[in-house]
Amino acid sequence: MTKPGVPLRLDGISKSFGGTLVLEPLDLDIKEGEMLALLGPSGCGKTTTLRIIAGFETPDTGSIVIGGRDVTELPPNKRSLGMVFQNYSLFPHMSVGENVAFGLKMRGSNAADRTRQSRAMLEMVRLAQYEDHAVHQLSGGQQQRVALARALATSPAILLLDEPLGALDKNLRERMQFELREIQRKLNITSILVTHDQEEALTMSDRIAVMRRGAVVQVGHPTDVYDRPRTRFVSEFLGTANVFTGTVAQAGDAGAWIVTLDAQPHAQGKTFAPEPLAVGRRVTLAVRPERLVIVPPRDGVIRAMVKDLVFRGSYFAYELVADGHDQPIFLYSQTRQILAEDGRVGLTWAPESAVVLGDEA
Amino acid sequence: MPPPVPRRGLRPYRLAGPSWCLPVVFFLAVFFVVPLAANLLRSAPAGEAGGVLFYYEKLLTDGYYVGILLETLKVALVATLASLVVGYPVAYFMVRHAGRWNGVIVFFVVVPLLTSIIMRTFGWRVLLSRRGLLNAGLLDWGLITRPTDIAETSIAVYIGLVHVLVPFMVLSISSVLQGVDVRLEETARVLGAGRLRTFLHVTLPLSVDGIVTGCILVFVVTNGSFLTMLLLGGGKINTLALLIYQQFVTTQDVGFAAAMGNVLMLVAALCFGMQYWLLRRTGIRR
Amino acid sequence: MPTILLYAYMALFLVFIVAPIAAVVAVSFSSSSYIVFPIPGFSWRWYWRIVEYRPFISSLIVSIELALGSALAGACLGVPAALSLARSRHAAAGLLSNLLLAPISVPAIVLGFALLYYLSALSFGITFLSLFIAHTVAAIPYIVRTVLATYRALSPNLEESAAILGATRWQTLRHVTLPLVRPGVFAGALFAVLTSLDNLPLSFFFGSANTNTLPVVMLSYMENQFDPSIAAISTVQMLIAIAALFILDRLYGIERLTAV
Repeated sequence: MTKPGVPLRLDGISKSFGGTLVLEPLDLDIKEGEMLALLGPSGCGKTTTLRIIAGFETPDTGSIVIGGRDVTELPPNKRSLGMVFQNYSLFPHMSVGENVAFGLKMRGSNAADRTRQSRAMLEMVRLAQYEDHAVHQLSGGQQQRVALARALATSPAILLLDEPLGALDKNLRERMQFELREIQRKLNITSILVTHDQEEALTMSDRIAVMRRGAVVQVGHPTDVYDRPRTRFVSEFLGTANVFTGTVAQAGDAGAWIVTLDAQPHAQGKTFAPEPLAVGRRVTLAVRPERLVIVPPRDGVIRAMVKDLVFRGSYFAYELVADGHDQPIFLYSQTRQILAEDGRVGLTWAPESAVVLGDEA
Repeated sequence: MPPPVPRRGLRPYRLAGPSWCLPVVFFLAVFFVVPLAANLLRSAPAGEAGGVLFYYEKLLTDGYYVGILLETLKVALVATLASLVVGYPVAYFMVRHAGRWNGVIVFFVVVPLLTSIIMRTFGWRVLLSRRGLLNAGLLDWGLITRPTDIAETSIAVYIGLVHVLVPFMVLSISSVLQGVDVRLEETARVLGAGRLRTFLHVTLPLSVDGIVTGCILVFVVTNGSFLTMLLLGGGKINTLALLIYQQFVTTQDVGFAAAMGNVLMLVAALCFGMQYWLLRRTGIRR
Repeated sequence: MPTILLYAYMALFLVFIVAPIAAVVAVSFSSSSYIVFPIPGFSWRWYWRIVEYRPFISSLIVSIELALGSALAGACLGVPAALSLARSRHAAAGLLSNLLLAPISVPAIVLGFALLYYLSALSFGITFLSLFIAHTVAAIPYIVRTVLATYRALSPNLEESAAILGATRWQTLRHVTLPLVRPGVFAGALFAVLTSLDNLPLSFFFGSANTNTLPVVMLSYMENQFDPSIAAISTVQMLIAIAALFILDRLYGIERLTAV
């Protein structure tokens, strides 16, 4: 049985530190039971946003509304939140069980209830047998699970996760991503995940908010943000992107547009666009490496030469150079391509594989 | 879309507010800062014949007092150097060679701090005096024919001082030496440097922070000590701190004693200032 | 440096450190009224002398009360301030920290002297209270120093976790901050107690019949009657300090208490 989740709304939240604007007025609407990832490079303001929601930083303007209740003026201990930190932050002087029961103890739960509830939480993260252990006796992954149990023991309205898996090694991280997501879904708890790891954001979240320099640049479902990045920054932060500039030449078949690429005079690329494009307009296109197609070199396609090939386990990564294009071009393929001896190829793509990028804000 | 609500006057989340400092600041202001300020005033009395800086002039011009000032500095300098020379190998041993015995050695270095300084100084008196152990030994071995009173010599004062000071020096140096990576020394050896050169060119420079801290600490402590000079050395070594003690016991010349105390404090302040400046400049970040 | 030489040096050094202490303990059992070493014969008489000569025991008690009391007062004053200053980014925080640590840098004799005249002017007189105030001033830096270091080494996330879990400021302090900062408080208090017990220059100025501390009494005894009872009382004082540490270790574990 899932409890109804609680929605969270940020209205015009902004913050300056010592004269520097760190967060521009930010609006976010997070639905009940949703996991939203705040994704961006360091310094983009994602952690500041999380800490403002938690109550450790005070916003200069704006409101935080949890389930319809404005909590902006409330201290952290009155906001009904749960939080998991990157360094676990388990209390070293308490046992695992005491850690998990801490929130309940602070709320005045009696000993019997506390034990019952904390055991149930530990069962949920499969660590019930460690109840009496000291914290340092557990491995990193186990400690993180205890931290999660502790955060959820008080049945908070919102769960905040600050780079929770950053301290774990790769394999463990991937397993924990699934576990965390499973628990979050099962409990239907509204959650905010702060991360700089785009794979993590793509795997774990219902929606991603990409942040840069204190502002949200794009919000949407993972596939949306990945396939339809709005700006060059987003296209390059989530996955790799090949970016081509060009001029709209004419309208093509079935609603596609034909763009003459700056790189080479004869080269053309096709793209769809959400609104009609004016002929002669300058555009920037982004194409994902896994969507590029190798064809025999001829007019009308980009002529390039294979420079390097790396086997990445689940795919082959080709690095190509093309005259007239400064950046290397990346192409991912599941199978090995059969190439001509001189390594010369033509590159093209289907119109649905390209995205017209907007300007950076 | 309505403009964002400005939030003014929201109290940031803090566990220990600034008001928690008030009791101790008040206490120290009343019982530390003001008394010392009063002491400063007392040393420069307005109505004194000879002017406000009479006592300071006397200290800095009268041959007798200048002699004591110089003696104070000399004793502190010698004691500091001696503690450094005696203490550095101990710190080095503790960090590099002791292994399991490290705890035992720390215990022995620290245990003197559990005894009173009077006990330790008295102990040296016992060992070095005419009827003490050293004389008994020297007589037995026929090295001397009559007992000599070493306890009454200046050397005894230095021995007593070094004995008290070395633990501080050792702890200062060893804590810094701990941070010097053994692999740096190993690299030097692999590159062909002998033990001595490795020590001189790698270990020593990297432990400079500890040496500076230890020396300044020992220097300041020596400046302020007088018990050792009182109980050993037969009055041959007279330093400023001892003079203050005697002034108080005998002449009760408050203003003069206050001036002497301020000179002592000034030296201490200069030392710590030098330490701050030196440690900032060496460019080895801790 | 050839290792054998280093080992030999260390052996000599340890002898050097222990020698005067061992000598005093030995002399305390001497049967002679003169300070002779090696001792001519064995006797307990000087230990009896301690009990006879009232000032020894009474000043020992005064010293212990003073040391424990001033360390406690120093902790009550210093710990809250240290917690407040440790993570403050305010400009004044550094200045205030320096003020709290300053008494260590002032030579005790200067501080004692200044305090005596000042407190007399305030009609505090030569009482236990004046002595107590002086020793508290001297104790504060030791405690503030270690608490600052301990608290700074703790992650702020710990207290933040407590707050998010619903703890009020006081609950966080009681259940998280203070237990984790306790090793620093104990280490600083230990230093303060040891320093206070041995602090002659400070106590010397406040001497009177019932406010004399042990070092002061020992010194004046030495200047008048120079006999082995000094050795006996010194030994007793050392044993008390060692016993106290031993008991503390048994009860709480010194490692755990002072592990900074």
